[in-house]
Amino acid sequence: MPGVTDTKLLSPALCAQLERLELVTRKIFRGRMKGERRSKRKGQSVEFADFRNYVAGDDLRQLDWNLYARLDKLILKLFLEEEDLHFYALIDSSLSMNFGSPTKLEYAKQLAAALGFVGLIRADRVRIETLNQAVSQRSPSFRGRASAWRMIQQVEAIQPAGETRLAQGVKNFCLRNPGRGVVVLISDLMDKEGYETALKYFVSHEMDCFVIQVLSQEELEPDVKGDLRLVDCEDQNEAEITVSAPLLRKYQQTLNGFVAAAQQFCSKRGLHYLLANNQVPVEELVSKHLRRRGLVR
Amino acid sequence: MDMLFRNTLGPTAWMIMGAIPLAIFALYFLKLKRQPLEVPSTYLWHRVIEDLHVNSFWQRLRKSLLLFLQLLIAALAILALLRPGWQGETLEGERFIFLIDNSASMSATDAENGQSRLDEAKSRASSLIDQMESSMSAMVIAFADQPVVVQEFTGNRRRLQDAVNRIQPTAAQTDFSGALRLADGFANPQTEQTQEESTDAAPKPQPVELFILSDGRFGNVDDFSLGNLQPKFLPLGTETAENLSITALNTRRGEDRPDQLQAFVQVANASANETTATVALHLNDQLVDATEVKLPARGTGSATFLLSNDAQGTLRAVVDPAAGFQDRLTVDNTAYAVLETGGDSRVLLVTPGNSALEAALETERSQRFAKIDKLSPNDLETPEFNRQVATGNYDLIIFDQCAPQKMPDANTLFIGRRPPLERWQAGESSDTVFGPQIIDWDRSHPLLNLIELGGVQIVDAQTVKPPLGGRVLVDSTAGPLMAIAPRDRFEDVVLGFEIVGTNEAGQRTFNTDWPRKHSFPSFWLNVLEHFAQHSDTQEIHRPDELVELHLPPGESRVEMELPDGATIPMEADVAGQLAFQDTERPGIYQVLRNGEVVKRFAVNLFDRQESDVALQTASAGEGGLNVVKSLEIGYVDVAAEAPNADIRKELWMPLLVLALVVLMVEWYIYNRRVYI
Repeated sequence: MPGVTDTKLLSPALCAQLERLELVTRKIFRGRMKGERRSKRKGQSVEFADFRNYVAGDDLRQLDWNLYARLDKLILKLFLEEEDLHFYALIDSSLSMNFGSPTKLEYAKQLAAALGFVGLIRADRVRIETLNQAVSQRSPSFRGRASAWRMIQQVEAIQPAGETRLAQGVKNFCLRNPGRGVVVLISDLMDKEGYETALKYFVSHEMDCFVIQVLSQEELEPDVKGDLRLVDCEDQNEAEITVSAPLLRKYQQTLNGFVAAAQQFCSKRGLHYLLANNQVPVEELVSKHLRRRGLVR
Repeated sequence: MDMLFRNTLGPTAWMIMGAIPLAIFALYFLKLKRQPLEVPSTYLWHRVIEDLHVNSFWQRLRKSLLLFLQLLIAALAILALLRPGWQGETLEGERFIFLIDNSASMSATDAENGQSRLDEAKSRASSLIDQMESSMSAMVIAFADQPVVVQEFTGNRRRLQDAVNRIQPTAAQTDFSGALRLADGFANPQTEQTQEESTDAAPKPQPVELFILSDGRFGNVDDFSLGNLQPKFLPLGTETAENLSITALNTRRGEDRPDQLQAFVQVANASANETTATVALHLNDQLVDATEVKLPARGTGSATFLLSNDAQGTLRAVVDPAAGFQDRLTVDNTAYAVLETGGDSRVLLVTPGNSALEAALETERSQRFAKIDKLSPNDLETPEFNRQVATGNYDLIIFDQCAPQKMPDANTLFIGRRPPLERWQAGESSDTVFGPQIIDWDRSHPLLNLIELGGVQIVDAQTVKPPLGGRVLVDSTAGPLMAIAPRDRFEDVVLGFEIVGTNEAGQRTFNTDWPRKHSFPSFWLNVLEHFAQHSDTQEIHRPDELVELHLPPGESRVEMELPDGATIPMEADVAGQLAFQDTERPGIYQVLRNGEVVKRFAVNLFDRQESDVALQTASAGEGGLNVVKSLEIGYVDVAAEAPNADIRKELWMPLLVLALVVLMVEWYIYNRRVYI
């Protein structure tokens, strides 16, 4: 697969690691096409599931002729259906994500590409979107290993722009994609209007939703000193602070409270929440933390 | 100059100093322009600020904490420049001499914190040295019985401090005048020069401040001119210091029981309270006896111990004060003595027969001083006599009515004859006198100690003219009748009249009625005591005093064992004389020859002046308050500086250190953001 591993988003080592993984979901979704995914539904595959009595109208191809010869009864042999999964990565590409080293956006892109790659390898449908896409602007849906290159190109093309509008972005996403599937929202959740409305859309849409909050090291442990005028990069809002130990302590408390509130909100509503520090390598995040959360296996 | 502050800056400098806090203020207001910093979101920060605004007063205080700290640093620096300090004199002058007393009494532990006076003297001297400025120079002299220049004039304060720290306590007496003369020699060095050259060319002598750090336990110095010296007396110690001391330890035969040896211990109480003390006597480190002595205030008590007749060795007497008595000086609580078998000195009497003299020399007390041998004048020519005399066997040879061919190696006493020496023979022919009347005699000489010669009748006599260096002891109407003169290391005494003579008829007659007087036996006792003295155990050696020893014949290489057990190899001269001066500590000193003790002597303080450790006081003025007695130096009263008048204590150093600490705290707070 030339080209895929050339990008900075996915290194060969990461790809090799990702090839062993697959996306899972606890919810049963109806795939549109046959995929590699074992579904809980019965269908056509090589994997045996059960026997059932023949009723008129059943496909004769599924009769177990050996049983008929022995028992003189028409018994149908059922197999597990293998189907594909819809995987959506929803990236917050607002200006606030353009901070940190690597920037939170880069981190988010890398994460989305990695998860998308896992999906493509397992013949799932992968669609990558950003929060500030218009309702009508659809992203292409990728399927199969061969599409990895195009998917990565699309992810790389994402540029930071605009303000964080979580609610609006999620609403647009849900309108564009009425079907069910696994959605991974990658954002810093720093929306001054709150993240709760946005996440509620997911709940009502019956998506299997993962919220990955990406925060940079500068946000988690700010290294600032002196008298400062903090300027918000999105709306130019200003906050004047004089850095002191109690102030930093207070910031730490507030941040912890914010993270804890998001986690609690998600777990109450059946959403998966994960806090990602941009200093933790994506490989580790995918193979360790997301595996523990049940997104990949 | 007891000002709290001392200005060190001029008005311009002060204006600049005053501008510094204003500048800090101004900089703070300028600094209020905050640095902009772009952050991903102010979402969390706004929530933080809202929370903190609740206690905004503290917030404001925290914000300006750095300002406060910087102002504090500036204030401390300004305060340090004002050189705050308190009390006490300042060092004024250019040159200083520190006279530090390290005599025995300076070991008294009545200074602060149980320190000795010497320690206090050292700390006061070093705090004075601390104040010296770079243009000043000083020297340090330690004095006890001999002054020692510990450090010559220098401006190097470290060397001066080292010199002061080097001074060690001694057990010696105090000789203040010697120290003064030494200081005078350094302070007025150009005395000779001014005499030689014309007065106009002589540089004006610089005054020298003389700091006397002592307890003043010494007499006035009368014969001394201070010259350039400007003395300051810093008394050390307290007026109420108590001390017990042994001021005498000697042994003698009992007057009524000559077979018994008695040890006599005198204890002095140098305190204003009556007290009791336990006196213990040890013979060769074994306790002989102990007794309690009652001591009146500022008085003495004594204890007598009985020793067996054949007791030999070293005696040690220890006084132990009663509980509650604060004995400040311990060095004088122990006294030492040496018990030798008496009579090891020998006296030879050469006489044709003199019953009165023989009787005087055969008394019990005389026997105790020396063993007396008798010879007749005829034996003078025998080789036996010459051999005995040559070995220095005798301490004293008395020639009665006879004279040898040549002078023996011994002290001699001639009766009615002159020594066979040229210098004694001058004018022999014309000076036989008849019936001289004694008109004067030298009462200060030990030979005539307590002798009354008035009314002694003499028939005829020869006048005695002592040679150069000699001394007339008895003078009469006709001329000197008794004289003493040194010869090498010996002394010769010549008595110009016979006691028993032979008249023309060859009969023995009394030439004088002196033998019938009380003074006659006393004189001979004095003679024995004076010439046979080296066997006397009662002689008192003081610390740091030169001790002359007469060793018995034998090898000249000996070792001196000090009280602490150390040994010093020494060499005695041909005649067995040994001089030793390193008698720093009280105790028993032993001369060892091939490991055997051949001579011992004891060194004791025995000085009531040193042991009376309380500061001398005098009533002052109308109030009659007791103040420390001033020193009198050459009829100039040097008043004691107030005992606790402290040297000016400067604060600038701790202030600067504090400023530095605050600066570090400020830096830490700024960098680490550790606010209150």
